[in-house]
Amino acid sequence: MPTSNSPLTAASLERVEQFFAARGWTPFPFQREAWQAYLDGESGLLHAATGTGKTYAVWLGPLIEAMRDAGPVALPKRRKRSDAPALRVLWITPLRALAADTESALRLALDTLGLAWTLESRTGDTPASRRARQREQLPTALITTPESLTLLFTRDDAASLFRDLKLIVVDEWHELLGSKRGVLVELALARLRHWQPAVRTWGLSATLGNLDVARDALLGVSPTNARVIRGAVPKEIVIDAVIPAVIERFPWAGHLGTRLVHEVIEIIEANRTTLLFTNTRSQTELWYQAITAARPALEGEIALHHGSLDRELRNAVEQRLKAGTIRCVVCTSSLDLGVDFSPVDRVLQVGSPKGIARLLQRAGRSGHNPGRLSRVTCVPTHAFELIEVAAARSAAARGEIESRQPPRAPLDLLAQHLVTCAMGGGFVEDELLAEVRTTWSYRELSDVDWSWTLDFVAHGGPALKAYQEYRKIARGDDGRWRVADQQVAMRHRMSIGTIVSDAAVTLQFLKGGRIGTVEESFVARLRPGDQFIFAGRGLELVRVRDMVGWVRLAPRARGVSRWMGARMSLSSELAAAVRDKLADARDGIFEDPEMLAVRDLLALQAEWSAIPDNSALLIERLHSREGHHLFLYPFAGRLVHEGLSSLIAWRLGRVAAGTFSIAVSDYGFELLSPEPAMLEAAIAQGLFSRAGLADDIMASINAGEMARRQFREVARITGLIFQGYPGSNKTVRQVQASSGLLFDVFQRHDPDNLLLHQAYREVLERQLEESRLVETLRRIESHPVEIREIAQPTPMAFPLMFERFRSRLSTEKLADRVRRMTLALERKAS
Amino acid sequence: MSDLHIELRGEAVTLLAERALFRERNATLYVADLHLGKAATFRAERIAIPPGTTAVTLERLSDALQRTEARRLVVLGDFFHARAGRHADTTAKVQQWRAARPDLPMVLVRGNHDRHAGDPDVDLRIDCHDAPLADSGWWLHHHPGPPSHEFWLAGHVHPAASLVGLARQSLFLPCFHATAHGVVLPSFGEFTGKAEVRVAGGDRVFVIAGDEVLEVD
Repeated sequence: MPTSNSPLTAASLERVEQFFAARGWTPFPFQREAWQAYLDGESGLLHAATGTGKTYAVWLGPLIEAMRDAGPVALPKRRKRSDAPALRVLWITPLRALAADTESALRLALDTLGLAWTLESRTGDTPASRRARQREQLPTALITTPESLTLLFTRDDAASLFRDLKLIVVDEWHELLGSKRGVLVELALARLRHWQPAVRTWGLSATLGNLDVARDALLGVSPTNARVIRGAVPKEIVIDAVIPAVIERFPWAGHLGTRLVHEVIEIIEANRTTLLFTNTRSQTELWYQAITAARPALEGEIALHHGSLDRELRNAVEQRLKAGTIRCVVCTSSLDLGVDFSPVDRVLQVGSPKGIARLLQRAGRSGHNPGRLSRVTCVPTHAFELIEVAAARSAAARGEIESRQPPRAPLDLLAQHLVTCAMGGGFVEDELLAEVRTTWSYRELSDVDWSWTLDFVAHGGPALKAYQEYRKIARGDDGRWRVADQQVAMRHRMSIGTIVSDAAVTLQFLKGGRIGTVEESFVARLRPGDQFIFAGRGLELVRVRDMVGWVRLAPRARGVSRWMGARMSLSSELAAAVRDKLADARDGIFEDPEMLAVRDLLALQAEWSAIPDNSALLIERLHSREGHHLFLYPFAGRLVHEGLSSLIAWRLGRVAAGTFSIAVSDYGFELLSPEPAMLEAAIAQGLFSRAGLADDIMASINAGEMARRQFREVARITGLIFQGYPGSNKTVRQVQASSGLLFDVFQRHDPDNLLLHQAYREVLERQLEESRLVETLRRIESHPVEIREIAQPTPMAFPLMFERFRSRLSTEKLADRVRRMTLALERKAS
Repeated sequence: MSDLHIELRGEAVTLLAERALFRERNATLYVADLHLGKAATFRAERIAIPPGTTAVTLERLSDALQRTEARRLVVLGDFFHARAGRHADTTAKVQQWRAARPDLPMVLVRGNHDRHAGDPDVDLRIDCHDAPLADSGWWLHHHPGPPSHEFWLAGHVHPAASLVGLARQSLFLPCFHATAHGVVLPSFGEFTGKAEVRVAGGDRVFVIAGDEVLEVD
C-alpha cells in the first residue's frame, strides 16, 4: 500500500488542486492539513464558521485515497450500480433537509474527479424504492441521519455492511453534542469502531467553548491520533443594534415590543436579502404582521419560516433564499443550521440574543460573498436588551463562547441501544459493556447501572422477577443476547431515536392545501368558528377530525397561534458579560453606543436603588398594595433563577411560614408575600448557603411535577411508550398510556426504578442547571448583600412586577388548595 | 377519608374518595372502569409495568365496601382491560378477593373493553348485562346515556377536572361529573388515565383531592 507521501499520493493531490484551480479557488491551508491528517490515518475535529470550506476539507481525503489506491491508470467507467465499491464513507447529518444540499456538494467533487463511486442519501424522506435498493447494496458514500444509521444496526448482517468503511463524518457536531441525540451518535460511533477499528472519524463543528470535550465525545475515550483543526480564520463579524431614538421610562419600563418596526423596514429596504431571527414561533408571526401592516408593498417579498410550517412551504422559501428572489425571511432557529444562503447580506435578531455562539452563528448566515462582512443587528424588544448586545459583542471579541456538555450516561438510551444491538447480530455482555464505555457519555457507567439496564431490558427489572415469561431480549446457548421475537424487533424499529415530538394537529384548508402543524393543546382551546393567525394568514377553524384541523381563510383574524416550548435562558457566559457591563456602568464607564443609550435608565436605577453587578447581590424591598415584594438580581439566567427563587422562598418560609408568588426573568426574580419576609434573619441563618443544598432543592422545587414531565422523554426512548405505526390496530391502543400515568405507577409500585431516578437527575441537571445554580450561590456567598428599600418599582423591578407567568411556593394540603381554585373551563351557556 | 353526602334526584347518595358512589336506597356501591389486568396487558406486549396495580385497586374496592357496608356491588363496565391481560396472576388475585366475600351480589354492565376482553369467569359469580340496565328507578350505562328524564349512572369517560387558581396554580384531578341527566363516575382502576370533562351550565363537578371529595365551581 502506498504511503501518504508516495508519488501516487502526490499525483492524486495534484488532481485535487486542479479541481480547485478550475473553479478559481485555492485550497485553504486548513483543508490541506485535513487531507494530510486523513491520509496519515488520523481522526479529528474541524471547527470553523459555516460556509468556510469544511465540507471539502473532509470529503477530499477519502477521494485522494481512492485515486491513490487505484494507481495512475484511468479509473474504470462504472457500468452498473452494483459495480461501485462498497460503503466507504458515512456522512452523518443532524438535519434531513441538509442531506440534499450536502449530496450536491459532494457530487460535484466526485463527478469532476471521475471516481466510480455511488453517492446516495438515506433519511426518513428516502423513497421506499431506493431504500429497497440500498437494502441490497449500500452506496460507496452514504449521507444519513443518526436515526437512519441506527436503523441499519438492527439488520442481522449489520457488521458486514461496514466492512470497507474508511471514514465517518459527523456534520454539525456542535448541534448534536449536548443532547441525547448526540449520545445516540456516540453509541453508533463506538459500534462502528468496534467493527472497524481502523475507521477514521472527522467531526465538523462550529466553534465551542469546550472543543476538547467535543473532540473526546466524537472520538471516544483515549483516542489515538486525535487532532483538532481550526478552519479558516473567520471573517470579521459585526454585532450592533437598532438603538431607539427615545427610551421611555414607563409604563413598561423599557418595553419596546414591535415599536422598532420602521427601523427594521429601513434596514430590509437598504439590503438585498435580510434574515430576521426571532426567539419564538409566535414572534415570527407577530413581526410578519407588523412589517406587512406597516409596509403593504413588502407583502410578496417577505416570507415566514418556522418549524411548524409545512415542509413544502419551508422548502419553497429556502429555494427563494438561495436564488436571491426574496427580500426578507422572518424565521426562528429553523434557519440556524446548514444550507448556505449566499445572497443574504444582513441578519436581524429580534429580542435577547440569549447566547454568544448563537448570535455568532446567526451573524454567519450573512455576508458569504467575497469582500462582504457578516453583520447581525439586534432589535431590542426591551431597553435592557441593549446591554446584552454590548455584552455579547465584548464577549465575542474576547473569544468567550458557550460550552456544550454531553448528557451523562442516560440509561433510557442505553436500554434502547441494548435492543438495537440484540437485533443486529446479537451481543456478548462484556464485549458490549467495554464498547459502550469507550464513549464519552458512558465512560464512567457503573457496573450496577449497566446490570440494572440489561436486566430491565431482558426481564423487566427486579419488579418483574416473579414474571418468568417476560422477555424482550434473551441469551442464547452461545452466550449472545438476541431479541426475543419478531414483534419486539418490529416495534423497536419504529421506536429508535431520541426525538420526542408533541402531538401535533395538521392544519389544512377545506380546499386541500396543507399549511403546517400546531400543538394539539392549542387547537384544544379553540372552538369551531374561532379565528387565529398562522403562517402569516388569518384562519378560521371549521372542525377538527383525526388530528387534522380544517380551516378556511379569515382575513380579519386577530391573535397569533401559540406554541409551547420552554423559554430559553441567557447563557452563563453572556450573563457574566452582562454583569461586567453593569459593573462598568456603575463605575461610570459607558463606551458602547448601546450602553450610552441606556445610560439615563441606569442612572434612574442608581438613583432609586443601585445598579446590580458583580460586586454584590442587590435586593430591593418594596411594600405595595399587593403585598411585600423582594427583588433579587443575581443575573444568572432564567433557568437558574427558577430553581434559585424556589430555594430562597423555601428557606425564607423555614424561618417564618409563608406563601410566595414568584416571577423570574433572565436578570433576577421577585418574591411576593402577604406578610413581610424575615429577610435579615434568614440571611443570618444561611439563606444563600451551599450547605444542605441538594436536600433543600428537592424539598423546594416542585421536583415531582417536573420529573413527571421529564419522564415523557425517558419513557419514549426506553420504549415504555409506543407511538404506534400507520394503521395501528386496537391491540396497540390497548397498550398506550400517558407518560404521566406511567410515572405515577412507577413512582408508587417501583420507586427504585433507575429510569425514575434518571428523570429526577435530568430535571436537576438540565432544567434547573444545578451546577450553574451552585456556581451562582458560590458567587453570592463570597460577596456582600446590598438591601435597598425602594419607594416605587425601579426600572429593573418593573418588568418582574408585571410578569404574568408566576409560580407559587406553599406547603398547604391539597384539599386546602382545591378550596381556593376554580374550574379552568368557562361554563358554556347551556 | 372524607366523603361527600349529596342529593341526586331527591335521593341520598355518598361520593367516596375511593372513587365510588354509594346509593342509600338500595345499599349498593357503584364503581366504573376497573381495567383489571391492564398492567399485565402491557407486560404481554413487553412493556415493563411493575406489578401491584391490581392489588391496590382491589384493596381500595374492599375499603369502600367496608366503610359503606354496601350489600351489593355494581361495576359500570370495563372490568378487565383486555384479553391479553387476563394473566393467571391477575385472575388469581381477583378470585381470592371474591372468595373473601362470597355472599356479595355483583353486577357488571358490560363496557367496550368487556366486549374484547370477555366476561369475567363464571366462578366469580358476576351477573353480566348489556347496557342499559334498570336499577331501582335509575338506569345503568357504560357510555354516558342520552339526555332524557330518566336518570343514569355511567363511566367510560374517566372524567377529570382541570382546576386553576391564583398565581398560575393548576391541578388535574379525577372527578364525578353530574349533569341534569346522570352522573359519570371517575375511573376506579389504579392504572387508568384521565380525560378532561366538558362542563355545561348547571353541571356539578366533585373532585377527588387526596382523601377528600370536594365540589368545585
